[in-house]
Amino acid sequence: MDKLKSLFYQDSLLEKLHQIQITYGYIPEAEIENLSEKYQLARANVYGVISFYSMFYTEPTGKYIIRICDSISCHLNESDSVLRAVKSYLGLKSHQTTEDKKFTLEVVECLGHCGEGPVMMVNNKIFTKINKNKALEILNDCM
Amino acid sequence: MLRAEIDGLNIELEEKISILDAAKKANINIPTLCYEDGLSIYGGCRLCVVEVEGEDLLKPACATEIEEGMKIKTHSKKVRDLRKNLFELIIATHNIDCQLNCLTCSRASNCELKDIAEDIGLSKMRLDPIKRGDSVDNSSYAVIREPEKCISCNRCIRKCEEVQGIGIFTTANRGPETVVTTFKDRGMGNVECTNCGQCILSCPTGALHELYQKESVLDILNDETKHVVVQTAPAVRVAISEPFSNQAGDISTGQLVTALKRLGFDAVFDTNFAADLTIMEEGTELIDRINNDGKLPLFTSCSPGWIKFIEHFYPEYLDNLSSAKSPQQMFGAVAKSYYAKEAGIDSDKIVVVSIMPCTAKKFEAKREEMAGDVDYVLTTRELASIIKSAGIDFLNLEESEYDELLGVSSGAADIFGTTGGVMEAALRTATELITGEELGKIEFEAVRGLEGIKKAEVEIGGLKLRAAVANGLGNARKVMEMIKDGEEFDFIEFMACPGGCMGGGGQPISSDKNVLEKRQQAIYKIDKSKKMRKSHENPYIKKLYDNYLEKPGSEIAHKLLHTKYKARKI
Repeated sequence: MDKLKSLFYQDSLLEKLHQIQITYGYIPEAEIENLSEKYQLARANVYGVISFYSMFYTEPTGKYIIRICDSISCHLNESDSVLRAVKSYLGLKSHQTTEDKKFTLEVVECLGHCGEGPVMMVNNKIFTKINKNKALEILNDCM
Repeated sequence: MLRAEIDGLNIELEEKISILDAAKKANINIPTLCYEDGLSIYGGCRLCVVEVEGEDLLKPACATEIEEGMKIKTHSKKVRDLRKNLFELIIATHNIDCQLNCLTCSRASNCELKDIAEDIGLSKMRLDPIKRGDSVDNSSYAVIREPEKCISCNRCIRKCEEVQGIGIFTTANRGPETVVTTFKDRGMGNVECTNCGQCILSCPTGALHELYQKESVLDILNDETKHVVVQTAPAVRVAISEPFSNQAGDISTGQLVTALKRLGFDAVFDTNFAADLTIMEEGTELIDRINNDGKLPLFTSCSPGWIKFIEHFYPEYLDNLSSAKSPQQMFGAVAKSYYAKEAGIDSDKIVVVSIMPCTAKKFEAKREEMAGDVDYVLTTRELASIIKSAGIDFLNLEESEYDELLGVSSGAADIFGTTGGVMEAALRTATELITGEELGKIEFEAVRGLEGIKKAEVEIGGLKLRAAVANGLGNARKVMEMIKDGEEFDFIEFMACPGGCMGGGGQPISSDKNVLEKRQQAIYKIDKSKKMRKSHENPYIKKLYDNYLEKPGSEIAHKLLHTKYKARKI
């Protein structure tokens, strides 16, 4: 029963991480330590969970999180040329943030619009059937 | 009763066990990689897959329970072909592109991957190794991590978490990006690692090894201006022969001394001498705390892994730690003061090298509170490798005696190498010092054995001493929680490694399941064979106090032999 209970509690870990991510825009170290205490997990374990999911961050992100899908469907529709353009435009690699804290770039697995690739997401907004020019336009609109 | 068939052999089993264990009973070896005795089942490497009649998919033998009437094939063509493919994929993530990498690997002489390759009959390597370009983690004074060799078997993760109860390692990221790392990739030296090195014993690929000081020691031995003295820990003499003989439990004290002399050390001394000294200081402290309402329970302070553990996790109990330095550090302090004076050598010229079964001793020697006592620390494994490279035929060496002044020790010092040993040594001396009478039976059976936690009540001259012994940090944590819950003790021995120092992270990596029992028996055998078995009877200890330290707990003893601890963040 105790084991069941602790499993149940651990289930809610993800929910807690979401709340923290929404509150701060990332998951600060102090919160990781709180969670580690609360769930009786080593802090490395909590970090392992955080790093498993690409939507969690352990450092503050830019104002705009740019997610570009590069899994098979999008890749076949030349998402890599979009990626190259965006990378060089922002001067970022995946998982990096611009110095002015405006953009964070993420190369991600599927965004759920495989029929309309390449797909790009800016914060919560999805853009389908993009190409490199469209992508740069979208970025410019954010400026 | 349960019946099953493995590779055409009918077997009968009393209870449900894994296919892997059942096969072992039938003398069938199924190759494993991520499996380790004593750790939870991970089932990640899939090398142990077997065919089960009626099942479409192959089943991992480690994670599948045997069932009534099961028909299993462990080495069919299907299984073997798949195993080879899997192994090729695993090997591709282990960067061995340059042959030199293998030759200089810490596991060169006992590579688990090589054994598996043999076991599955690997005949070709079709895949180029993946170079992830991970940099070496050399943030720690004790343990080095080479992620390029890591195959993510997760044994280090499970060892650290399940046996030691710490959990500094985790897998991070997902899919092909998955890596084993520390919290926020900070490196082992920047997290709550205790430096115990148990992960090294679990790592099948040599991705984890001690911070080598072999080369530095060889250099210093060639420096004519230095007087290099060496000390050997109690647990080294019962393990140093293993890399040469592949056999556990041999005692090779005399050969060890000869080898060190041949290597060119100017004096070969014994940490055991300092262990006797530790008993004098720690025993005095215990009696003092009992008589003067001092902080109890008193915790032993010999194990640097345990010290770092309590500094991180239970800093509120630091005052319970004995202020006595560990034998390694006491030795260094005495060598550079008393020995320097007696031998008429400038203490600046003296270099102290320790041979330890321990990786945490490397960190301890670097602690600023005790800086300068000990200059270099080699693990048992490192010494074995130096002995080999010096062309010394270790097993056939003649025996020699330690140099006298700091080389004579009692049997009580010998048992420091095993769990329960420090407790027993302290009890022998404390009892006689308190009662003033000679002990009848010298063995304290209640604190012997390999159990993780041992408790005993010992009568000493009308006083009931509540003692406990914990080995392995997971057990140390349990005892600390008992104390927090109000259980009362007077004196507790803590050792970071399972089995105590003889199971230390710097010991030879053994494939013998009973290696700890064998080493422990050897240690007790040495004790039994000695005439002098109590620390306070050691004439050289008496001489040290008479000529230099005055008496246990004196001002000068405190200056040289005691230390402080500090709270560390997690």
